[in-house]
Amino acid sequence: MAGGRIGEITGLREELILKSCRLAIKAHEKSPGKPYIHDKNRGSTDAFFAFPGSWLVDHWYSRKPFGETKVDLSKFPSLRSLGNDEAALVNEAFSTRFELLLSKSSLAVEVEKAVSDQKQIVFTGHSSGGPVAILAAIWFLEKYVRPNAYQIPPYCVTFGSPLVGNWIFSHAVRRENWMRYFINFVTRHDIVPRIMLAPVSSTEQGLKLMHELTTSKSQYFQHAFITKIDAALAFFLSVMRNASSVASHAACKLMGCTNLLLETVSSFIELSPYRPFGTYIFCSGNGKLLVLDNPDAILQLLFYCLQLSPGEQNSEFLCGIFKEHLIYESELQESLNMQNVVYIENLIDVPLSSDAGTNDAAATVNSALNDFGLSTRARLCVRAAGELEKQKLENQKKFDSNKDTIRDGLRMIQEYQTNCEIRKIGYYDAFKNQRDTNDFNANVKRLELAGIWDEIKEMIKRCELPDGFDVRKEWIELGTMYRRLLEPLDIANYYRHLKNEDTGPYMIKARPSRYRIMQRWREHAERMSVGSSSESTFWAEVEELRTKPYSEVKDKVLGLESRAYAWIQDGILGKDVLVDESTFTKWWRALPVQHKSGSCIANYLGN
Amino acid sequence: MEDEVSSFESSEMLATFLASTPLLEESWKLCRHANASTVQDFIWNRVGDVTYVAFPGLQNVGSDSCTRELVALGTAAEGVFTAFDRHVVESEEPPMVHIGLLQLFLSLYNTQTFRAKMTEIMNESKSIVFTGHSMGGSLASLSALWLLSCLGNTSLSTAIFCITFGAPMLGNESLSRAILHERWGGNFYHVVAQHDIVPRLLFAPTIPFIVELHAFFKSLQFSLTTPYYEQLAVQLSDENKAELFRTVLACLEASSRALNNQERVPFWPFGSFMFCTDKGSICVDNATAIVKLLYLMLATGSPSSCIEDHLKYDEYVTRACWQYLMKTSFMEGSSTESSYEAGVALALNSAGISSHEPAYGLAKDCLKMAKQVGCRRNINNAKLAVDLSKITPLRAQIEWYQKFCDDSDDQMGYYDSFKQRSASKKGSKVNMNRCRLALFWDKVIEMLETNQLPYDFDKQPKYVNASQFYKLLVEPLEIAEYYRTGMHKMKGHYIEQGREKRFQIFDKWWKDRKVGEEENSPRSKLASLTQDSCFWARVEEARECIYEVASEMDMGRNLLLREKIERFEQYASRMIDRKEVSKDVIAKNSSYNLFVGEWRELKSHAQPCPFQFPSLQDGGNMVP
Repeated sequence: MAGGRIGEITGLREELILKSCRLAIKAHEKSPGKPYIHDKNRGSTDAFFAFPGSWLVDHWYSRKPFGETKVDLSKFPSLRSLGNDEAALVNEAFSTRFELLLSKSSLAVEVEKAVSDQKQIVFTGHSSGGPVAILAAIWFLEKYVRPNAYQIPPYCVTFGSPLVGNWIFSHAVRRENWMRYFINFVTRHDIVPRIMLAPVSSTEQGLKLMHELTTSKSQYFQHAFITKIDAALAFFLSVMRNASSVASHAACKLMGCTNLLLETVSSFIELSPYRPFGTYIFCSGNGKLLVLDNPDAILQLLFYCLQLSPGEQNSEFLCGIFKEHLIYESELQESLNMQNVVYIENLIDVPLSSDAGTNDAAATVNSALNDFGLSTRARLCVRAAGELEKQKLENQKKFDSNKDTIRDGLRMIQEYQTNCEIRKIGYYDAFKNQRDTNDFNANVKRLELAGIWDEIKEMIKRCELPDGFDVRKEWIELGTMYRRLLEPLDIANYYRHLKNEDTGPYMIKARPSRYRIMQRWREHAERMSVGSSSESTFWAEVEELRTKPYSEVKDKVLGLESRAYAWIQDGILGKDVLVDESTFTKWWRALPVQHKSGSCIANYLGN
Repeated sequence: MEDEVSSFESSEMLATFLASTPLLEESWKLCRHANASTVQDFIWNRVGDVTYVAFPGLQNVGSDSCTRELVALGTAAEGVFTAFDRHVVESEEPPMVHIGLLQLFLSLYNTQTFRAKMTEIMNESKSIVFTGHSMGGSLASLSALWLLSCLGNTSLSTAIFCITFGAPMLGNESLSRAILHERWGGNFYHVVAQHDIVPRLLFAPTIPFIVELHAFFKSLQFSLTTPYYEQLAVQLSDENKAELFRTVLACLEASSRALNNQERVPFWPFGSFMFCTDKGSICVDNATAIVKLLYLMLATGSPSSCIEDHLKYDEYVTRACWQYLMKTSFMEGSSTESSYEAGVALALNSAGISSHEPAYGLAKDCLKMAKQVGCRRNINNAKLAVDLSKITPLRAQIEWYQKFCDDSDDQMGYYDSFKQRSASKKGSKVNMNRCRLALFWDKVIEMLETNQLPYDFDKQPKYVNASQFYKLLVEPLEIAEYYRTGMHKMKGHYIEQGREKRFQIFDKWWKDRKVGEEENSPRSKLASLTQDSCFWARVEEARECIYEVASEMDMGRNLLLREKIERFEQYASRMIDRKEVSKDVIAKNSSYNLFVGEWRELKSHAQPCPFQFPSLQDGGNMVP
């Protein structure tokens, strides 16, 4: 937690930041007719794409109250939560603007060209040009970086950009470790980055007002503002009030509030789903910069920086607030000259009282927080955000220490599997019959392992683990191994007890969510299509098919066979499936002759 | 313990959240209108998707309102608050409410306009907020309880919320507990101004005060309906005010002390309380903490402020709703760097209790305790999940034993093998597991009953399913053990006398669970566990009946016994036909098969003499 040059903290050269600011504002103010500005300097190693914003209400909200929609997973396959299998929400109006740009303009072609020239690509946007830049950057990451088709990650620099997506959006970007490519500048009182925290009903007039104010010549700004002072005040208050709701609701959760009211009230009051992500750089207005990358803490600051002191409730001050949306270029210039930067990494230790700070580092942070007018309450919220992050890391550490226990358990099941093979019986069938002490011991081990994984699963579902937990290679491998080895036993147990007759087929009614999560982990990591890594549920399909007459399920049998063929080829499906006495072999041999003769797996099961 | 709870105090943040939503402001706005209207019993207003219903604060008060007598909801308002009927436990006081307030509500409830309007509102909006100032708040609470109670029996998902302003206490501890168990605790929000006497009044016994109270209510009623209330409120003399203040404060202090000794207080808060001062507001949901804060905050007041505050909600609500705008100053004086201490200091500052006052320590303990209780619930829940996965292997061992018995050569089946077990290692291990599982589930139930678990614990599918499975697997063993040790001779039969409370509770959980559209196709094989966990107890009873029939000389009693056996036989064969029993029931040497044999024997040997019972012969049922 201390200073540093802004270029070092963000990893983006400062002249590029300045240039993107210039271009973003140029795109927004000077060329609203163009879809974007592409700055390509033949000799340079960089390519800039700057997007203009818009003040039309339709370009902000597609519907009431907050205008969000599910992201198009075909274009943004990473923007979802693997734990809860939910697509991220994105502002529909912003997303539509980006889609149009992509399909109607030459953006894709020009980006392709920049890629082939091996350029560092920077997407940038001011105001509501920001969201388009953000979506373009994610599109680029999905299309070029994730498949390893391009080694130079893009940067996305926004200035006074409104929020774009919900918490899953933010979670997914953090999971993919992309947040460092998103750099968002926000001046302390700029109202625009907070607008999406309020519903359209209370910002519609405000957007019109912003349009009028920003298009008036700067020397007339003051005058234009005075004539609209009432509307401006109403706009400011309603954005602030909604921001207060969102921030205090989030803070209650961060602070571990257990009151049932929180849930009840949520069914009466719809809160904005939007959340910040990436690196936020707050500009104080006097050249100082505050850098944060914890999304919970950023959300709190978006609210608390807006709070007024008693002396600040006058029209002049309010006018200044509205002007802050337009001064990014000069503000940035000044800040970069001063390099008075505080990067708060360790949120837990931010000083609480304004006069705290016995050592230099604490004093620096303290004076920065004072510059942004952050009271003890605000600082407590920032700490709570840090505490949550710390707790998540500790949870992860705790599970990491379980790895050996899981490995030992898996080893035991593997031995069981081998033992069964020696007896010429598949471990699926052996387990289903439960004849032997070995079978029983395997059952106990199965339950023990399920206990450990269920604990992990619960934490993933409640988001109590770091965002990146879902993509850690070692855990994905462990999960895949566990799933392939143990899920057949769960299926065996299910059909042994005929639970399908009580509750329905395993796949629909009873598949434990731990397996679903693990399957998604692998499918995501290997960029496989959704549902294609279903080898561990092979037995459940067999069990369902074998109770039905062949004529009814012919297509399904063919489908299963072709998948099984591939799995056997890859060595994913064990030999145990194909032993003479296995449930699968017996069922398959009883299929009609004409089917068997044409089957792709006939070779494995020939008499 | 302290490490486990979160290190932040959130009571102030929660109040801030509520105040930043439109709920509080809109509710108060309508309450103000209701108070000004002298003709209507209630008024309503629709804002977006939410309909607000407000009751005027000062009703015509009957003499009942001046006592603090409580009546049981089940008897005094039969059929109105049906949800509370299931919370009547024999050893405990039933849920009760203040008699006068209930009558006020019932007289409204019995009007055609009220119920017609409610139906209309329910059809129109998805969310309803009941609100009221003073006694209007009590009406709002009762209306909300009534609707919540009704909704439980329907599939409607109307959201109900209740916000009261300076309302008197309403009911006893049982009412509060029932509300928690119904998970309605989050639906009630009581706003209390710093020194307002009305929410605290009923902590004082009324006898020496009946006249003053009456005058007090009357003066309030009069003053509020006229714009110049301050002149008229003087009707209550300064001495009366002082005495009122003194008495209520003393009684509150006594109540708050009584809590430390776990003594009962006649009135008990429910839902959350938002305490407002001119410095800010906090929100607390722990009843003990609420009572103590009611006392500690009143102690900072005066005879005049305690009455004025009841009429100052306009000011308090407006301030609460707009305070978010302003940057709040830093903590006064203390310069702690501990997040928790700083949070508590800020909260108590907002509650008007500053750090140099003697009450500060007490109030701090209060918030701390409330916080710990709340957090412990979630921690317990998480721990329990781990414990549950630890006991699952025990259950697996029993399943293994079940399978072993069902397949063994003596063909006795699971139940009888365990009942007749010799001193085998297997049997005693299973018996041990049976005891350990019982311990686990008893602990769960105890924690649930002492409110140490989340309120919706018994609705979590995980525990409902686990408890059901446990019941089906282990209760037969409990029955076997009961009859094996001859307990039925000492205490009577299992179902009536020997069944552990936990199984009855699990029956209820299973019955109340949410059932999806499940396919009910007939079973193709016997169930792996008999679906009626008391099946074996019924077998034992039926066999006992057979022995009694053999020795029963009285023909009338003999016949009754036979009918009972017959009923059981029909029931059992139905279960078997539907394959709802497990393998052990039809094992060759099972108690059930012994019963079948004995019964057949009895019927063939000793038939009741036909001409003594002509009626039976007509029915023809008894002829084999």
